[in-house]
Amino acid sequence: MKIFIFHLMPYADLDMGYADKYRAAWVVLPNTYFDPKKGHELYNRYLDELELAAELGFDGISVNEHHQNAYGLMPSPVVTASALSRRTKSARIAILGNAFCLREHPLTVAEEHAMIDCITGGRLITGMVRGIGAEYFSLGVNPAYSHARFQEAHDLVVEAWTKPGPFSFEGKYYHFDYVNLWPRPYQQPHPPIWAPSTGSTETIEWAAHPSRKYVYLQAYSPTRSVARYLNYYRECAQRMYGYTAASNQIGWSTPVYVADTDEKARLEAKPHIEVLFNKLLRLPFEMLFPPGYLSTKSLKNMRSHKHSVSGQEHTVDTLIEQGIIVCGSPDTVRKQFMDTHRLLGFQNLLCLLQFGTLPRDLTEKNIRLFAREVMPALQALTDKEYAGMEVRAAE
Amino acid sequence: MQHSEIEVRGCKLNMRRGGRGEPLLYLHGAQGLNGHEPGIDALAENFDVIAPDHPGFGKSDLAGDVDDIADLALFYLDVLDLLDLGRVHVVGQCIGGWLALEIAIRNTGHIKSLTLVNSAGLRVKGVPRADMFVCSEPDLLKLLFAGDFGSEWLQSWRASSDAEDIYDRNRAAAARYSWAPRLCNPKLDRWLHRIDVPTHIVWGDEERLIPFAYATALKQRIPGATLATIAGCAHMPHVEKPQAFAGEISKFIRSAAR
Repeated sequence: MKIFIFHLMPYADLDMGYADKYRAAWVVLPNTYFDPKKGHELYNRYLDELELAAELGFDGISVNEHHQNAYGLMPSPVVTASALSRRTKSARIAILGNAFCLREHPLTVAEEHAMIDCITGGRLITGMVRGIGAEYFSLGVNPAYSHARFQEAHDLVVEAWTKPGPFSFEGKYYHFDYVNLWPRPYQQPHPPIWAPSTGSTETIEWAAHPSRKYVYLQAYSPTRSVARYLNYYRECAQRMYGYTAASNQIGWSTPVYVADTDEKARLEAKPHIEVLFNKLLRLPFEMLFPPGYLSTKSLKNMRSHKHSVSGQEHTVDTLIEQGIIVCGSPDTVRKQFMDTHRLLGFQNLLCLLQFGTLPRDLTEKNIRLFAREVMPALQALTDKEYAGMEVRAAE
Repeated sequence: MQHSEIEVRGCKLNMRRGGRGEPLLYLHGAQGLNGHEPGIDALAENFDVIAPDHPGFGKSDLAGDVDDIADLALFYLDVLDLLDLGRVHVVGQCIGGWLALEIAIRNTGHIKSLTLVNSAGLRVKGVPRADMFVCSEPDLLKLLFAGDFGSEWLQSWRASSDAEDIYDRNRAAAARYSWAPRLCNPKLDRWLHRIDVPTHIVWGDEERLIPFAYATALKQRIPGATLATIAGCAHMPHVEKPQAFAGEISKFIRSAAR
C-alpha cells in the first residue's frame, strides 16, 4: 500500500468566537480574521511538516485547493506543491485536487502541473475536482454547469498534455485557437490523475471508465460509506465496463491520530479534531450545495439523509465510532487499517495528520509515531491480504 | 387555468392558460410558478393569460441550447412565433422581467405592452442586489415577502414530493440563467433605448432583493416608462398582494397600451 500524508493547511489561529457572528468559516467570514503574520508562521510550519513526512519515508505528500475560507489556506495548491518540489527528493507530490473547471483558463493550471512534473522528474500526481459548492459562490462560477465544465476542462487538459500542438480546442465552455503546451509533462502520457470525492456514483463511473482508470479517493466518510463507494468502483469496472479494477485504482483519505494509548490519543486529538469538524467545516446546506451543483436526485438524497460530515455537531467519540477518523494507540490504528484493508483492498491511503488546531509539537509527534509504528506494516500490504469481493459479471 | 404542452424545437414546454380578453404572456421569476399564484388568476379576469414554465423550470424540459438569458430571449421569440397571437401584453417578474427586457431590446414585433414587476436584469453600480442563493430558507422568505406569508408559501412547496422536486429544479434553473453576474446583464442598459412599446414598472414598496434604485433606473432608461409601487409587499406582489398586482397591470394596459 502507498501511504500519503495529506495537509489542509487550516487557519489554526482563527478566533473561534467567529461562529457566534457568522454562519460559516467560508464565503462570508471576513478576511480581517486572517492575520498575515500568523499566516506566514503557519505556512512555513505546515510545509515543514510535509517535508518531515517525506524524510520519514511516506510515499507521497499531498495538498489541495479551497477558496476564501479558514478551513484550508491553499487557494492555489500549485504554490505549496512547487515549494515542496525542490525540498523533497523521492516522495510523490500529489495535488488532490485542483479544480481546473473553476478557471476560465484551465490551461494555465495544466502548464503549472507540467512544470512541477518536469522539475520533480515525474513525481506529480494530478487530482481533478469540481471544488466544493462554496467555491462557486466565492469565485462566481455557475454551479449549474459544474459537471459539464469539469468534464470539458479534463478533456482539454489531457489533450493539451498528450496531443502534439499547436491544435485548436473547440468546446462548449473552452475555446482556444492555439493549444501548444510548453513544457509538456515529464511523465508519459501524462501524470497520474486521481479523482477525490466525498462520495459520488457519477464520479466513480467516470473515473472507472476503461479509457481513464483513474484513482478514486474516498474522503471524509464513515466506514460504511467508504466501503460502499470503494466497492462500487470495483462493481462498476466489472459490471459496466467488463474489467477487473486493480486495488491501486482506489484509495481512502482520513484524519489519523496516534498516541501511546487509546485514551491518550483521544484526549490529545479531541479539541483539535472537534474544531476541524464543528468550526472550520461549518457550512450551511445552501453553501455546500448551491443550486445545480448536484442533480435533483442527489440533492434530495443529501437532504433526506443529512449524511454530509458538515451537517452535524461532532465529538471525537462520534467521529471514531463512525469511522470518520482513525484515532488510538499504534496497535489500534494499525489494526483498524489492516482490518479495513482486508475488507476493501485499497492500495492508497491518505492520512491527515495535522487537523484543526493541532499544534506543531503534537503534529510532529503524530507524524513520527505513525511513520515508525504504523506505516511500515501498511506499506507491506498487498492484494494477498485482501479478502476480495464477489462481483457479479455483467449479464 | 388549463395546462397544456407545446413543443418548441424539441423542447416540451408546460404552459398554463386561462381567462378572457387580450392575450397576456406572463414570464415568471426565479422562484418559478408553483401552481396557485393568485395574482395570475386575478389577471385572468381581464386577459387571456398564457404562463409557461421556462425551460428547466416547473414541468418544462431543459433546452440544451438555452444556456443563459440571451438564449432564453431568442427562445421566447420562437415561442411567440409559434403561438401566433399577434401582439401580446408581456408581464415579467424578477428574472421574468429581465427576460422581457432582453426580448424587447431584440424585437418588439410581438409585444403590445411591457410590464416589469420587481425586475432583475439591470446593474446599478454601487447598489448591490441581495443574494437569494446564499441565504438560509428563513432569510430567503424575509427577502421575498414583506409580511409573514413566506412560511405558508414554502409549505406549499413541501406539500408533496412532486412540488419539492419542482422547487429544487426551479432553483437550479434560476442559477443556470442568473448566477454570474448575479441577476443582471451589465450591458443591458446600453440597449434599453430600443424599447418602443408602452412600458410600466411595478415595484413592491418593501422590496429588499432588488432595491428601488433599480426601478428608477429602469424608468430613466426606457423611453416613456411609468412607475408605480404596490404597498405591503416585497419581491412577490403577485403572491402577496394579488388584487393590487392585477389591478395595477390592468389599469396601465387600459390607459396606456390601447
